[in-house]
Parts: sequence; C-alpha cells; structure tokens
Amino acid sequence: MNDRVRITVSGIRGKVPQSLNVDIASKFASAFASYLDEGRVAGCRDSRFSSHMLEMAVCSSVLAAGLDYIDFGLIPTPFLQFLMKREPFSGGISISGGHNPLPWNAVVLLNEEGAYLEPFEGSEVFNIYESGDFKKASWKNLGAAAERAFPVELYLKEMSKWVNIQRIRESNFKVVGDLCNGAISPFMGIFGEFFNCKLVTINDDLEKPFPHPPEPSIENAAQVEAVVKATDADIGFLINSDSSRISFVSEKGKGLSEELTLPLCLLSLQGKISKVMTTVSTSSWADWAARRIGVNVYKTKVGQSAVIHMMGAEDAEVGGEGSGSVAFSPFSLGYDALLSLAFVLDLMSKEGKSISEIMAPFPEYYMEKCKIEVPPEMTYKIMDKLEKVYAKERPDFTDGIRVERKGLWFNIRPSTTEFILRLILEGETDLLVKCAKAEIIERIEE
Amino acid sequence: MRISDLKVSISGIRGIVGKGLTPQLLMKFSEAFATFIGGGTIAVGSDTRPSAEMVKYAVFSGILSCGATPLDLGILPIPSLQIYTKEKKLEGAISITASHNPVEWNALKLIKKGGVFLYPYEAEELLDLYYQGKFRRVDNPSKIEKEPSPFELHERRIFQFADIDLIRKKRPNVVVDPCGGAAVPFVKKFLERLGAEVICVNCEISGEFPRNPEPLPENLNLLCEAVKTSGADIGFAQDADADRLAAIDEKGNPIGEENTLALAVDYYLSNKKKSPVVVNLSTSKVLEDVARKSGVSFFRSKVGEINVSRKMMQVGAKIGGEGNGGIIAADVHTCRDSFTGMVLLLELLAWSGKRFSELKEDLPQYHMIKEKVNISFREGKRILSKLAEKFKDGRIDFTDGVRVDYPDFWFHVRPSNTEPVLRIIVEALEEGLINMILKKIKEEL
Repeated sequence: MNDRVRITVSGIRGKVPQSLNVDIASKFASAFASYLDEGRVAGCRDSRFSSHMLEMAVCSSVLAAGLDYIDFGLIPTPFLQFLMKREPFSGGISISGGHNPLPWNAVVLLNEEGAYLEPFEGSEVFNIYESGDFKKASWKNLGAAAERAFPVELYLKEMSKWVNIQRIRESNFKVVGDLCNGAISPFMGIFGEFFNCKLVTINDDLEKPFPHPPEPSIENAAQVEAVVKATDADIGFLINSDSSRISFVSEKGKGLSEELTLPLCLLSLQGKISKVMTTVSTSSWADWAARRIGVNVYKTKVGQSAVIHMMGAEDAEVGGEGSGSVAFSPFSLGYDALLSLAFVLDLMSKEGKSISEIMAPFPEYYMEKCKIEVPPEMTYKIMDKLEKVYAKERPDFTDGIRVERKGLWFNIRPSTTEFILRLILEGETDLLVKCAKAEIIERIEE
Repeated sequence: MRISDLKVSISGIRGIVGKGLTPQLLMKFSEAFATFIGGGTIAVGSDTRPSAEMVKYAVFSGILSCGATPLDLGILPIPSLQIYTKEKKLEGAISITASHNPVEWNALKLIKKGGVFLYPYEAEELLDLYYQGKFRRVDNPSKIEKEPSPFELHERRIFQFADIDLIRKKRPNVVVDPCGGAAVPFVKKFLERLGAEVICVNCEISGEFPRNPEPLPENLNLLCEAVKTSGADIGFAQDADADRLAAIDEKGNPIGEENTLALAVDYYLSNKKKSPVVVNLSTSKVLEDVARKSGVSFFRSKVGEINVSRKMMQVGAKIGGEGNGGIIAADVHTCRDSFTGMVLLLELLAWSGKRFSELKEDLPQYHMIKEKVNISFREGKRILSKLAEKFKDGRIDFTDGVRVDYPDFWFHVRPSNTEPVLRIIVEALEEGLINMILKKIKEEL
C-alpha cells in the first residue's frame, strides 16, 4: 500500500521503481508541458541515483510537446526557483525527493515564477495527465535541450543585498555543515568564501548515498555536534538533500530543533519585514519571535505550495514552517536553506552574540512530532472520528485538526507526502505534552 | 480498416514524430530491450534527424530504468554502431534512425551482442515483454556514459582490411553525398585518409534531408552534376544511416544499387578471397553471374540484413549483401556498410585502371523494375499461391513471399510485414519482357 504514488501540488512522489518510474514521470512531464503549451522549461535534479534517469524521461517529454528544456543539472531546487524569479521560463521541473528518504524520489512542478503549483494549476495538469491528451509537436516544432551552468555569483550577490555582508565577513565565523551528500555540495565552498567563513563540511560527496535520513533534525545532528565541539566552531548546520530545509547546532555542540530556524530568521529580519506566513503546525516560537520584532503572523495549511501562495495573497515577505524551511519573497518563491544560513549568520554578527546567547531569551516549549502509520484507506475515517471527538474544543480546520488548550496545542493531519498521520504537540511542560499525546493515540486506536 | 502509422514489429519500433511515436512508447520499448538484454552497457547512436534528441533522452531513461548503462555515441552511422558493439563486446545497442524513410519518421533499431540485429525469434520475445510491460526496473539506476570518437574503431577495422597503398597510388577524385545524414561528420576525412581528393555535397546537418534519403538514381541529381562538372572518377551516395551505397560513374550516370553491389562483390572475389556469396531473394541475377564466374557457391536468403548476415555465418560466406546497395564484407563485419563498399570500389578502380563506366559495362546487363502496390494484408497473402499456380512451370521458392525463376526472367513478390503493400521485383534480359510479366502479375491483384 505504501508503494502507491502520491500526486499532489508538492510533487509526484513515490518509491523508485515500485510507484515512481520513468513512465509516470514522463506522462506527468507531458501533461505539464501540454498545460504550459509553449516557451521553455527550466530543469534540475538532486543527487539521488534515480534522479538523472527521471530527468531524461522528463526532458524527452518536454521536447516532444514542443517546449525547450534548459537543464541546470545537479543543483538544489532553491537555486532553480531563484533563477526563475529573474528570468522568463514557462515553468520548471525539479527531480528531487527533498526530505524523503531513499528509495523515494519526486517530480516537482514549478510555475513561471518558480513557486510550487497552486491547487488550481495542479488540477489542470492532473486533468491532462488523466485524459492522456498530451500535446505532440511535429518533427519540425520539437523543443531543443540545452545545458546551462547555474550563475552562483549572481545568487550570492543578490543574497548579500539582504544581509550586512561586510559585518558577516568581518566576523570571520567558523562554520560546520552537514550537506547530506546533497546537490548543494559543490557550491558550499563558494558560499563560505563569499561570506569569509572558515567552513568545515561533512557528507559533502555527491557520489555517495545519503549518510542519514535527509531531514535536518536533532536526531540526525550527532556528527555535526561532534565536529562543532572538536573544531570549536561558532555554529553548525544540517541541510536536507535539496537544500530547502536547514537546522542548526549551537557553538556548544548542541543540536537545535528545526523549529528554531524560522524564529531565528525572523529575529534577523527585524525592521525589514511586516508580515510572516506560517502553518497551523509550526512552533509557537515563531509567534514569539514575530511578536518580539513586531510583525503579524498568519497561519495556513502545511506545505510549500500553501505557504508560498498565501504569502502572495497576504503580502507577507517571509514564510516558513517548523520543518526548518524559510522563504523570503523578495529573493525567491521557495524555501532556501542557504538564505536561512545567511540570515542566521547576519543575526549573530549583528548581535555580536553566540548562538546560545541568542537562544537564551526564548521561552521553553516542549514539542513532540509523531508519525502514526495508518493504512491509506483508514486515514480519512480516523480524521472523521477525531473531528467529532474534539468538536467541543472548537478546533481549527485549516489543515487537519488543530486544538488549542491552556498551555498546549496540537495538530493532527494526514501527510501530503507519505502514508502517515502527523501528530504535532507543543506545550509549556513536558507533562502536558505527554498526557495529551497518550490521550490522542488512545482515541485513534479506539 | 485503419492502418496506424506506428509500427511495432520485429524490426523495431517506427513511427511519425508528433503522431504515434511518443516519448512514452520509446521509453517503454527501451525498457523492454534493457530487460531483454538483462543489464550491461547499451550503446546508443543516431542519425541526423532533428527528433533524435527527443528520442535519445527517452531511450536513455528507459535503459537506465531497467538497470543497464546507456553509452552515448552521438551521431553515428549504423554500421559503425554495430562494429563498436562487437569490438567493445557490449551487451547491445540501439540505433535511432528511420533509415531511408522521410525526415518526419524516426525509429529504434535493436542490435544485440556481436553487433548484429536481433533474430526474429528474439525480437518476438522482446515484443512479448514490451506488450506485457513487465520490466525489470531497478532502484539504483546507473549513469549515462559518453564516448567521444566511436567512429575510429570502424575506420581502423576497415583500414586493416583495405589495400590503402593501392588507392593512394591512384589518388582518385571522389564526390560523396552523405545526404546530410549520419556519415556527414566522418565521410570526407575517411576518404581523404584513403588518399582520395574529396568533394562532399549535401554535407551539412541542417535538420532536413537535402534530398530523399534513398540512394535511388532519381534522388541523386546534385551528386551526378557534381561528378560531371568536377571531372571526378567516381561518385558515392549514402543513405541517412550510411548502411546503403550507390555509385555514380565518371560521366555522372548512376550505375544503380544492384550494380554497385555486384562490382564490389566481383572485386572481392577476384582480389581478396574466394568465398561463397549470399544475397537476398530480391537481388539482381548479376550477383549470381559474378559468383559463377569466380566459381564460388551462391545462396539467397530472406530479405533483411539480419537474414543475409545470418545465412553468411551459416555457410561461411565472407561477402554478400542486398541489392538495394547494402554491401556486406565479413572481414570488416557482417553488416551492411557503405564505407566498406566505397573502399572495395576505390580499390577496383585503382586495380583495374579502367574508367568506372567501363567497369559497369563489363557486367551482364539486366533490366529490373521494382514496384510497390497497395493491397490489404489478407489479400497480400492470398496472391502468393495464385501466382505460384499461374507460373507453375517456373522454379518456385516460398522462402519469403514467392519467387519464380525462368531462364530469361525472374520475379519476386513479397507482402510487407509492416504496411499493407506488396513489393514486386521483376528482372529480365530484355526490357520488353519485364512489362509483360508485370502485367501478368498485376492481373491477379
């Protein structure tokens, strides 16, 4: 059952080859290219073994529909999104499983601005996919493929406009990074030089498989923690395989929750922004940081598509989620781990404080994130039941069910990328969280 | 009855780009082939059709999907691809070419270990896999590899076989017409290294074929003109994938593909090796005469390169081919190869000291007519026994359609496997006889 392909606006995701294979990838690319109708498509891929194969399938399908395919090769998705905000493309396709573990992979579709598709765009593409009525260009009108190198200097130059580059350079930070053998690996050195950081990277080999699940989190931080301590570094970080998510490690070698990435970026952007978009399952730390810098918080559904498009609708400059994802719309319409890193370095240099000192005023919250495996066909029956159970607590239905109690909130929703229920609880004490979790799981199993 | 322009058959998959030949089908066919081959390296070469790029990426992804490694050889003549596959001991190869078909067509041709096409029973197994869609997809696909100069291997193989000194001494003036096809990047230098002075016409890769790619006399006006005006000794026309060859004499007259083959075989038998000769059932009787003159045995096979080359291996023949200009010399490789054909004819020119038009006149002169008649598949099969009945006093052969031999003429009638057409070939000593026979055959349609 778990081998079913997931078809949503956040991509066509599945295990290779059981549920995601060249046939499905090419049909989606044909449907997407038919939807776009003309122009050129920007493409890239991550370092997974299956990514080049899927990219070839996608490329052929785009050409067959009469659109050109510009291949940026092995680069992180945020790089492509950055470029698409600045250059005219009809759409983009990134072959990247992001945070999903192997053997998963995904075909991620991007609109003309480099953002994930909105639901109405997605359903147009999926309708064409379903009808199989793909655009077929005649031999004379086929698209052409071209390879292009990503202009990393432009990327860094644009990034430097949003931070105090001089101050960061003078700070001469010592930084340790775990790149998860991901697409960012060949570019990290240039970033370090640009910001005058003394950079130590681990897991920075594209040829190797993922060293650990490609999600930035405290559980995966042990290696970085050890290297930060050993090298006496100022900060450490972990990036997921497509460089959209990041979490940090303090100068003391203590892994920080990925929930802290967004609040740290908000503190860094004090005075530069007015609104922030986040989700119903993001930590209250984001609300705390927003209050501290005097900006309004809006909450929407979980997922890059929802956050980015609501940012546009509400004119929020920043959007982010507790997964370690932050987007900054003047820069690009996608989550970008390197930009988050730049923001945090900027914050450290501005405050002249260590990361632990910056963390000191943060209130204490206890959070638990659980994955509850349920058969796909049971998912919505369970959600239905929970809706009734918690009805009197007046829950929020923006995404799944969110219940707020004194000193505690929780959100439970079906994952959009895997066949699980995600339960997230956060409270002022560990006990509150543990009790609530036991109660919810009991309700599910009833 | 609706006849699809997509042809999935034991010869591969063929169709019109923008109609039936979609990336999904190409991918699926490549997955079937990689599953059939069972892994290893699969070389991929193409001709110069603009759709080659789209097709190539679909083929790469299909090969990767089923655990094999695609080796990108770029634009490459099909004989070069076959030789590369053999010499490098690869598991297989895919050629992206619709050969002599017009530019809007494309196709995949499948080559197995040893550099020959799939045998019919192997191709049937592959089709079975294709239709079932049960592919051996893997979770850790390998990577695409590249080889920058795969033609070198082909050239080296020919140079081991050729009498280069003989050609160099003659310093022949040659005009070659690769039809803007797969031979374009290679053929001029190849001939120059043999010591020829070369003019190349239709030598640009433009995205459209400058002429109909079949090297038939009516398609070769530019080449014939160039031979005449430049005072060249000989002209060569290749098709888009460079397996077929037709020669032009120094007066600018096409000598015909049948005679091109005959002169190459005649020279081989008299100056290289005495060997049995194999040609297909549609090939001119002049080949039979050439073999008899040299006192070697002569065999005919079903039409199609794989059938000729298989028969050559069975009977130990070193030379043979197909009357449409497909010259096969096993010393180089058992495949139709226009480059090997050019070498044999240049050697002949140098060795004989004669003009090319004289060499052609030395051959027995037959008259031949090739026709294509539309007919339903079912009717096409029925006609064969009717013809056998009508010409029952001739020598009848049902190996491939029906062939009937008389002392002063023969004909071969063969329904196509992929199109509802009947191919008719009649050859006779006298021109008048041809039309009479053709009329008699057509009475049965």
